[in-house]
Amino acid sequence: MYRKVGKPVLFLVILCIAAITYLAYFGLWTSNGDVVTYLINPISKSRFGIDINGGIDVTFTPPKGTKVTQKELDDATTMLKNRLDAKKILDREVYEGKDLNNPSITLRIPHQSSTTTFDPETEIKELGSMVQLVFKCPEYNNGADIITGKDVQSAAVEVQSGSYQVSLTLKSSGTKAFADATKWIHDNSKKLSIYLDNVEVETAGVDNEITDGKAVISGGFTATTAKALAEKINSGSVPFELVTDNFSTISPTLGKSALRVMVTAGLLAFIIICLFMIVYYRLPGLIACIALCGHVAGTLLAISWPQITLTLPGIAGIILSIGMGVDCNVITAERIKEELRVGKTLDGAIDAGFDRSFTAIFDGNVTVIIVGIILMWLGSGSVQSFGYTLIIGVVFNFIMGIIASRLMLKSVSKYSPARRDALYSGRVAE
Amino acid sequence: MKNSANSSAQSAAALMDDKRTRLNIDFIGKRKIYYTISISLILIGILVSVIFGVKLSIAFTGGAIFKYSYTGDVDKNAAQTVVYDTVNANRTNKLKVSTQTDVIKDTNTNRLVFSVSPEKGGEKFSISSTEQQAIKTALQTKFKDNKIDISETRNVNADMGSAFLRKSILAVLLASALIVLYIWIRFRTIGGLPAGLTAFVALLHDVMMAFAAFSIFRIPLDDNFIAVVLTILGFSINDTIVIYDRIRENRRLYGSKVHFKDIVNKSINQSFARSVNTTLCAFFAIAVICVFSIIYNLDSIRSFALPMMVGVITGCYSTICIAGPLWVTWVTHKEKLAEAAKQNKKKLSPKKA
Repeated sequence: MYRKVGKPVLFLVILCIAAITYLAYFGLWTSNGDVVTYLINPISKSRFGIDINGGIDVTFTPPKGTKVTQKELDDATTMLKNRLDAKKILDREVYEGKDLNNPSITLRIPHQSSTTTFDPETEIKELGSMVQLVFKCPEYNNGADIITGKDVQSAAVEVQSGSYQVSLTLKSSGTKAFADATKWIHDNSKKLSIYLDNVEVETAGVDNEITDGKAVISGGFTATTAKALAEKINSGSVPFELVTDNFSTISPTLGKSALRVMVTAGLLAFIIICLFMIVYYRLPGLIACIALCGHVAGTLLAISWPQITLTLPGIAGIILSIGMGVDCNVITAERIKEELRVGKTLDGAIDAGFDRSFTAIFDGNVTVIIVGIILMWLGSGSVQSFGYTLIIGVVFNFIMGIIASRLMLKSVSKYSPARRDALYSGRVAE
Repeated sequence: MKNSANSSAQSAAALMDDKRTRLNIDFIGKRKIYYTISISLILIGILVSVIFGVKLSIAFTGGAIFKYSYTGDVDKNAAQTVVYDTVNANRTNKLKVSTQTDVIKDTNTNRLVFSVSPEKGGEKFSISSTEQQAIKTALQTKFKDNKIDISETRNVNADMGSAFLRKSILAVLLASALIVLYIWIRFRTIGGLPAGLTAFVALLHDVMMAFAAFSIFRIPLDDNFIAVVLTILGFSINDTIVIYDRIRENRRLYGSKVHFKDIVNKSINQSFARSVNTTLCAFFAIAVICVFSIIYNLDSIRSFALPMMVGVITGCYSTICIAGPLWVTWVTHKEKLAEAAKQNKKKLSPKKA
């Protein structure tokens, strides 16, 4: 592949790198009137983690000592997802803990830019609230539950003579039980009580046996509360109480400021490293800088295009992988220097330099991949992002630092002004 | 290749004459010095952590930290009382609250920082989101004109914390094992086991140094510590592999006529410039992050960048001064044993000599 690398190759490679950089910064979009749709997301439209956007990271657990089956955990997760859907929170991460002896569900929700106030406690409370819906009568079946939220098919808001109610349609599992209960209660002139989260919201007599599986909860609802309740019931019943004592919140203003700082740091680091490389390694150093540009652009694109979550440690990972990525250029440049010192021709030195350094670069990068994978497996959101950027950094290191660099260097060395040994080794060949 | 491997006339002198590098430091000879420096630093780190205690962040112990932004002037003590009363309203196991202030330089925002921990050390506790809401409301009521708002909060349930600690330690062990295994396999042609083990010792050395850095700078160990340790492992081994690769190549080149000690020495000299420069670049990158995080008060990044800076340097040092020399020590020791065994054999059966 490297046999015949002609002069034009240099410009081809630089063009490719420029294209990637353009895409990373501007993205690819089509506009339809006022609506802009992105085919490739630029870095500014990355999916940022909550430490940049602000938001909530909460882990729900059942009360200590409660045993939970996998199905119950899955049900709870579905319920949480439904609630998030109902609130139109589409950008989110929801995942279950893997250890069933310590069941947990973790939610990560970035701050919604549409809302102006940041009120994480209320949001967490609403998401995790129980909505334990129970119909019972103390005298019937010793006060056992007649209907619970599990038996409800759907709930809807109804207006009855100016007041708001929530009407319930029961599943077939609940219809018969309800029919039996209401018949008994009616016959015995007892009262039916409705409990919401263990708080009694309504007690009423029953006019007749209810066989059609429809029930109504009325009792001082406003339009908002009725809607909220219907939504909660519809999103599914909660098999167990969700305890929320493991959570972090970050305000949006804090995050934005951190992002600015990190981006500036990154730019500065990039400039310092480039200066160093050019001064110390001259022509190979310059090539390294171009390759580095491609490396960073490629990494950014690999994050923004698939909308992988980018957190502050993730950005630190990008900056670090710049420092580590330049390594392969250093190894190669040193090797070329050496080969020239030993007396090889320029072309021979360049080839030998790249060939000899490959194994060392390869082994070193594989170990970084090992570390990156472990970090992704172990870490919480922010550390996972760091692991991901490390791995992506290695991939682009291979592409830019090895392949692109070699193509560019071989190509540029074909130009006569670039054929002075001093440009590669800093000294005239002995 | 001009210097052919098959020439038995290659001697240590000729090897030293190789023009590949002008550097000619006897790293191997001075190795006792390096061992001493490393052991001392590690001991200092351990001493500091024993005397001053190892600070584990709430990520591992469980606990709560609340940071509220405010404008104007707020009496810290009054604020602390408000939080203390709210938090202990329904508790038998009282919690204590400590208060500090910090500033977000970028936007010039002042913040109150409340750390909540049990009065009786080691007791598990947790703050629910309802309690957090109560704290915020209480503060906002008391300090109506100061625009108190949530900046950042973190609540970690103690059980989650210890589970995470276990997982982290497991990750470090796993990473180390995989890396050592990888080296063993890749360098099996030149004696994989000592290569793997000496690399492992170098890694261990780096982890202890990172730990010492956290101890001495009084940074609580948190999830960033784990990320730092793992990254240092990856970076340091990168370095070590480059030198081992060179040792392998020189071994192939100069055969076993040249003593291993000289091969390693030469290899280190040859890779020295590269090790230093790469470390320098990585150092620039992380130093910039570190400086910015200190200036702008980004705690979470600082707790990551500062030890990483130390780790990058020790990674380079451990590669040059520990891994290679240790391997030589191993080989020399084995040779001494073999030589002693030979001498014993000669003594036992003089006729065969």
